[in-house]
Amino acid sequence: MDWLVTPFSSNAFMVHALIAGVLVSIACAIAGTFVILRGLAFIGDALAHGVLPGIAVAILVGFPGIIGAAIGAAGMIGGITLITQRSRLSSDTAIGLLFVGMLSLGVVIVSRSNSFSGDLTRILFGEILGISVSAIFIQLAATIVIAALAIICARPFLLLSFDPEQAEVAGFSSRLYHSIMLFMIAVTVVVSFQTVGTLLVFGMLIAPAGAGALLARRVEIMMLWAVLFGALSMYFGLLISYHFNLAAGASIVLVTVAIFFVVFIIQNIRGRRAVRPQEATHG
Amino acid sequence: MDSRKQVFASAAGETEAFKMSNGGAPYVRAMHLSIGYPNEVVVADISFELRQGQAIALIGTNGSGKSTLLKTIVGLLPPLGGEVSVFGMRPGSNPRRIAYLGQFHASGFILPLRVVDVVRMGRFPLYGLRRRMGRQDDEIVLSAMRRMGIEKLAESPLRSLSGGQQQRTYLSQVLAHQADLLILDEPTAGLDAGGRELYLQAISDELRRGASIVTATHDIQEEPALCDQVMLLARRVVALGTPQQVLTHDALLETFGIVVFGDQKHVHVLEATHGHDDKERLR
Amino acid sequence: MRGKCILVLMLLTLVLASTLSCQSTGNVNAGKKSIVVTYSILGSIVKELVGDKATVTVSIPNGLDPHEWEPSAKDIEAINKADLVVENGLNLEGGMQKTLQTAKDSGVKFFTASDYITVRHVGTGEGIPSGDPDQVVGAPDPHLWMDPIAMKSVVSGLASVLMQDLNLDVSSQAADLENQLDSLNTEVATTLAAIPQENRKLVTGHESMGYFAQRYGFKLVGVIIPSLSTEAEVSAGDLAALKKAIEDNHVKAIFTELGTSPAVAKAIGDETGVKVVELTTHALPPDGSYFTFMMNIANVITNALK
Repeated sequence: MDWLVTPFSSNAFMVHALIAGVLVSIACAIAGTFVILRGLAFIGDALAHGVLPGIAVAILVGFPGIIGAAIGAAGMIGGITLITQRSRLSSDTAIGLLFVGMLSLGVVIVSRSNSFSGDLTRILFGEILGISVSAIFIQLAATIVIAALAIICARPFLLLSFDPEQAEVAGFSSRLYHSIMLFMIAVTVVVSFQTVGTLLVFGMLIAPAGAGALLARRVEIMMLWAVLFGALSMYFGLLISYHFNLAAGASIVLVTVAIFFVVFIIQNIRGRRAVRPQEATHG
Repeated sequence: MDSRKQVFASAAGETEAFKMSNGGAPYVRAMHLSIGYPNEVVVADISFELRQGQAIALIGTNGSGKSTLLKTIVGLLPPLGGEVSVFGMRPGSNPRRIAYLGQFHASGFILPLRVVDVVRMGRFPLYGLRRRMGRQDDEIVLSAMRRMGIEKLAESPLRSLSGGQQQRTYLSQVLAHQADLLILDEPTAGLDAGGRELYLQAISDELRRGASIVTATHDIQEEPALCDQVMLLARRVVALGTPQQVLTHDALLETFGIVVFGDQKHVHVLEATHGHDDKERLR
Repeated sequence: MRGKCILVLMLLTLVLASTLSCQSTGNVNAGKKSIVVTYSILGSIVKELVGDKATVTVSIPNGLDPHEWEPSAKDIEAINKADLVVENGLNLEGGMQKTLQTAKDSGVKFFTASDYITVRHVGTGEGIPSGDPDQVVGAPDPHLWMDPIAMKSVVSGLASVLMQDLNLDVSSQAADLENQLDSLNTEVATTLAAIPQENRKLVTGHESMGYFAQRYGFKLVGVIIPSLSTEAEVSAGDLAALKKAIEDNHVKAIFTELGTSPAVAKAIGDETGVKVVELTTHALPPDGSYFTFMMNIANVITNALK
């Protein structure tokens, strides 16, 4: 049992990493729930990659990566919105191209930097082991904002996930709340890239919430599962990274994906064994 | 059949009395209204009025303009020409008083929503973002589920229900709203005989309560026969008036390209025009 | 929704509470002091100096690029818990900067080798275009281990710090080591004497020979040499610049560091007629000795240019 606790109890940096990680999990659980419910996985991935040029420019020029990420995210959202509104092409195609383009642009910019491969690795995979206390506070603030938004907008978000037309008719502008949702996802991505990096934050958005969706009957419970799974992933991911000398960010995401598939398999076995509830009345 | 007609007749009578004591300003009013999409007029020159406690049925095939008209009344689509007002105001100004049931439901198989959660959403327009719901709302929700016979399924996830049970849930959601105006697109789709009975009873209760109803349907059998007005649509207003006036052989022939034989109970309809290849059998 | 908020808040408080109550433990080893050196070459000198008197560990495994390497959780832990951390300074350990800074901020004792030498700056004509920060003209050169005399200063500085901060008396070992470094210096110079003056030009792809060149009278010419660690494809411009550098300087060999592929080496050789010689400047030889390391370099250069 010692090996479960000692890495944390004797290392401040591990505890910092865990705290930051749990905060990220909470933010990702909330945002990720709506990503899954609204089928925004693709856009979530696009955002995660789209922030790369912003971060790269920030590093090159010397201002905080977060600001660069925020600008990148804003640009990405703008681009996505434009495309979905104007395009006759499947917007998937256009969005996909947009984010591949942004990703390449980001890599090109970073390659001009002095410590190319190191920087790129850090952006893509994060540096959770080196997280500073100020970064933790930023993460805390962001998580609080996201939680507040989710609580305030709970009803329109629910309606939007259920049926955007219903949301509109009920008096909730589906465009407004869709934008708020995108904003939430963007904030999550922008802040969380410090911990797990842009490539992997997508995993933290989708996997815990996805597992939660498989298990829960209600949205609130789904979110709770997502928080739990996210936090567990952080804990065990860091533990594994410590004991086996593996990259921290990637270890965390491996655990979270593993959890998802375990849940997936369990649900499938259960589904096959359980007798389907016979409908008393046929419609 | 006769007993049902009696129920409606007495309901209509009560409504008349109710109407006169309420001033009788039209709930929905259209004057030379053109509806459609930015590049496409679907139906031009629609004029009708719907007063409090009245019901109107829109009948036509897919693509005839029924859904388009419903969406225009509800405010999801802008009118292309002419005027339309709901409660004397622009469509969409009054989410608290209008309940809408769309034809297609975007709810995916992922959504962790229970039946009670869905029905509860019907109350959202009355409370906006944050005003809290109370016990009486729970009772209204329960009563709405009872009226559609699904109170035993309250805790079941929506995705585990059959198509008919899901439709009953959506109808319960509408009933929970206790709106003044109900706009329903294909409300009986997927319902079995028991479901349709419950639906008709619920509709008559709503009318008696003083609500007005606009339904769009393929079903020319029971319901439109009992409405105050019927509008036949085939990309234009083929006929508008009382059921007796409208549901004539010639009008139906033009609307559906159908052959009607037998009495009102057994109507066989074959669609041969308007580019629809599928034959639609209405019992 | 309510229940969810409460649960989340509980989780948060739990986590925060555990941080506050977390004590950073002192060293597990109450016995010998622990010294952590960042990279292997400096590490070998420290080991020679300290011997058995302290436990010396090296963070960056020998052979890996010290500019890029990033520490794992256990590496970070070792640094945080060390009695003394010996670093090169001048940003050599690029991937470790955050860790080193955090350790410094939390009070870990540090010895920075570059504080004890005369820092050299990259001169004109020497810099590698579009290279790392220590490759541009004017940048401070961190590759101080290439000069045995500079290492002498490091040794004497370290000896006094060890006495002061760790109560370790290595004065006699320091004296010995400094003598040995003097002998090494002479030996290297003698070996290199075989190279005539006009051939004393080092065309390299990575500016690590600065202190060496300064000590032993060489001219540095910096160009981009395609290697595995940079772009896989060489641009036409790079190749042209390379050719020009070779022609202008009439060199017989160019020096590459981090493993140029044989195909590329052959291509360059065919194109320009010079030999592509690999210099191992960032890694110790198998016997782990600094002295062997320097002699190898001297011999390779001499054989290529004499």
